[in-house]
Amino acid sequence: MEIKTGEYNIWIEGAIIHYEGTLRLSGTDAYQEILSLMQTVLEQQPPMITLDLTQLEFLNSSGINLLAKFTIELRKHPEMAVKVLGSTRIPWQSKSLPNLQKLHKGVELVIN
Amino acid sequence: MSMSFGETAQTNGTDCFAISVVFKEGKLGRSWKQAGTTSEFLGEIVATQSARSGLVYSEARHAIIYLVNELLENAIKFCSPGDVEVRCSLANSTFELAVINMISPERIPGLQMLIEELTTRDPGDLLLERIEANAADETSSASGLGILTLMNDYGARMGWHFSDAPTGGASVLRTQASLSLT
Repeated sequence: MEIKTGEYNIWIEGAIIHYEGTLRLSGTDAYQEILSLMQTVLEQQPPMITLDLTQLEFLNSSGINLLAKFTIELRKHPEMAVKVLGSTRIPWQSKSLPNLQKLHKGVELVIN
Repeated sequence: MSMSFGETAQTNGTDCFAISVVFKEGKLGRSWKQAGTTSEFLGEIVATQSARSGLVYSEARHAIIYLVNELLENAIKFCSPGDVEVRCSLANSTFELAVINMISPERIPGLQMLIEELTTRDPGDLLLERIEANAADETSSASGLGILTLMNDYGARMGWHFSDAPTGGASVLRTQASLSLT
């Protein structure tokens, strides 16, 4: 399962969701297709779900809201471990990803 | 009518590094992509200048792109017909941005209520509160989330100025942001 455009690519490997490129869609509705893709992983109830953002160079606030919304959904599944991978090379990640941990204490945030 | 909210006093002088982009009303139209391409362009130019003053290019470039993109996305989403102007300036390590666009008078009370909340509450608390409310309500527009990320995650100081348009009808909204680049 994947969404591939010229600007961004999102694909799933097992219970790892990979994000790549630049995401600046125009709002909640525009992000719905991506949220649906993420939800297919959640529906499989894996023991751990990983969001790999290490290649996502840019995300606008609507996209940050999408990650936050999905994190709140994950919070309803306390049995499921959650890992969020970021990169110190990409400035928005160190600034905005810690908010996900505030929404869900079970999020393991790894920014390398 | 002229009203200001938040931090509207900008300190970068007239002799500092400055660049403006104006989208003239007319056949150009407004498209979502304009926010992305314009923010990349301005981020590149201003960050190159900032690197000459010893600032970290990649950090400055990203912060400027995020800031310009968010305010320009808002302008494209909510503006009434008229020019949209983006003004950037850099003095020492202070980046200042103003986005000027026309706004329908009917939108002003709702926007001013939102601004009142943004400027009186702790942005970190309000950001989480808004995210939770938005997740609980599918119909929520998530308004203000972009500005809250600017204030909380980037430490941007925000200001808003409303004034009458010279031609009457719509009003002029100037949204300002100031950021210390490090």
